[in-house]
Amino acid sequence: MLKALKNMLVMIELEMRRLWHDRTEIYSRAIQPILWMTIYGPVMGSARAIPTGGVPYTDFITPGVMIQTTTFVSILYGLTMVWERDSGILKKLLVTPAPRYSVVVGRSMASGVRAIFQALIILPIAFAIGVRFVPNPTYFLLALIVIFFASGGFAATSILIASFMKTRERFMGIGQAITMPLFFASNALYPLQMMPSILREFSAYNPLSYVVDAVRGLLITGNLSSLLIDLVAIAIFNITMFTLASVSLRRIIE
Amino acid sequence: MDLAVQINDLVKVYDGKVRALDGVNLTVETGKSFALLGPNGAGKTTLMRILTTQIKPTSGEAHVFGLNVVHEGSKVRELISYIPQEMSVWTDISGYENLLVYAKIFDIPHHEREKLIHEALENMGLIGVKDDLVRTYSGGMIRRLEIACAMLIKPRIMFLDEPTIGLDPAARKAVWERLNVFKKDYEVTIFFNTHYMDEADLYADEIAIISQGKIVARGTSEGLKHSLGGELITFTVEKIPINAENLGEIRKLHFVKDISIEDTSISILVHNAEDSLPYIMDVLRNERMPVSKVSISKPTLDDVFLKYAGMRFEEKGRISDVVHTRRMIRRG
Ligand SMILES: Nc1ncnc2c1ncn2[C@@H]1O[C@H](COP(=O)(O)OP(=O)(O)OP(=O)(O)O)[C@@H](O)[C@H]1O
Ligand SMILES: [Mg+2]
Repeated sequence: MLKALKNMLVMIELEMRRLWHDRTEIYSRAIQPILWMTIYGPVMGSARAIPTGGVPYTDFITPGVMIQTTTFVSILYGLTMVWERDSGILKKLLVTPAPRYSVVVGRSMASGVRAIFQALIILPIAFAIGVRFVPNPTYFLLALIVIFFASGGFAATSILIASFMKTRERFMGIGQAITMPLFFASNALYPLQMMPSILREFSAYNPLSYVVDAVRGLLITGNLSSLLIDLVAIAIFNITMFTLASVSLRRIIE
Repeated sequence: MDLAVQINDLVKVYDGKVRALDGVNLTVETGKSFALLGPNGAGKTTLMRILTTQIKPTSGEAHVFGLNVVHEGSKVRELISYIPQEMSVWTDISGYENLLVYAKIFDIPHHEREKLIHEALENMGLIGVKDDLVRTYSGGMIRRLEIACAMLIKPRIMFLDEPTIGLDPAARKAVWERLNVFKKDYEVTIFFNTHYMDEADLYADEIAIISQGKIVARGTSEGLKHSLGGELITFTVEKIPINAENLGEIRKLHFVKDISIEDTSISILVHNAEDSLPYIMDVLRNERMPVSKVSISKPTLDDVFLKYAGMRFEEKGRISDVVHTRRMIRRG
């Protein structure tokens, strides 16, 4: 158990080192959410069609568009397990004394490192364009932790999906195909009350909604009334996905 | 005798149809360098992946140092190092960082880490490039880095899947020289897959030939070749016609197995050509048969393969070579 934990930390360290050597990706991935915030946000906001509970519309969507990006990053990250199978990295990792689940969980959580740095690029830009945050460092830290853990869950989800894929073709496409439905069927761009009831039902099972809700509460509105529910939902999501991904690893190896 | 590897009736069927291993029986002694030689698709990688506890056999058993690879997998993994056929290092960090990450995964104590990493880099001749990104390494350097990773934990046995695939002869030689030093210094057993016959020939104490999931022959390189009957010495003589009676004296030599005559040449089958040649020359001189030309023909491993597997694999080997080289190049 201790060994497994240490292993996960090594995976996280590895990811920091990779990020250190090549940071271009997190910069280029920041472009999309910035477009949402600078163009879509003000345009939709000026229409005043969406009830945001008093906060400016751009502020309202900032957590959502940021989390869309971090989720996409971690989903792509999980899919790289397929590539690591093609190269020998995964094979070699599986022949180390580390327990198998620690490889899965470690790799998943390592995607959280990327997600956090992604968020740390986007947030100052949001601040610069006028988004007002709750001035509370504890909330800020908590929001980053939420993003970190949730990314692990999303990466595990994509490992699970990757285990059904035979090749690494259509990599990006699959990443988008998972992220976009989650994004649009969530509370990222509009409050749940605005959705048709079917979509609202779906959204109750959409992990992204809980992440967005938690982070929005912590960063923008300061309203933490549903934070506990959000955290429990994210925890359940993570544990389920870690378990399923660990089990499905066998399929990736063979 | 302490056996490093013991395999009994091992069968592996993929997806219920591809019979990759078809009843393999094999033992490898501790401290030896052992080559599993076979063409593309023979089942070498499959066997190695079972021995390294990555996949389960369909039936049969395998033990590594007496540990069952299916039931005692985690104990087996403590003793072994493994280098897969494909590239297995991260290309977007430096060589040193790769070793550092693996040292941590292997739980090498903090105070030994730096020393061991330095030693491994030194052994593999990578000190000068340790801080460069692996992306900038040549194929040979990447392979050496992988071997450095494998050396870190001082394993009891190293499993190397085609360790010199895609390397030019000089790079191959360098890799093996270092492997052999390591093997001697730490008494590690080396189990390697290859489809290069000369690699098995030069660097293996023992060879097993695998073809279509079956072990078709095994022994030392010499032993396998001799099992084909022996070596042939052919003399071209100036005196014609050759009189069979003159050869009576040669026939009397105990090491001569057979003689055949054709026009001006005499072919003599012996166990060992170099050892036998001087004696035969003496006899020919005494019999006043001046020799104008001598040639020796020895069986190659290819001949061995042809005999036991009923096919040659030179051509196939080349094609797979190209494929593998591409795979190595397509890194990152
Ligand atoms: N994961 C897999 N799923 C299905 N079939 C497989 C799998 N891996 C290997 N095979 C098949 O099993 C047979 C043996 O393959 P294996 O990779 O063990 O051969 P090899 O001797 O290592 O060949 P190579 O020289 O190409 O590395 C081949 O027919 C191959 O197509
Ligand atoms: Mg192979």
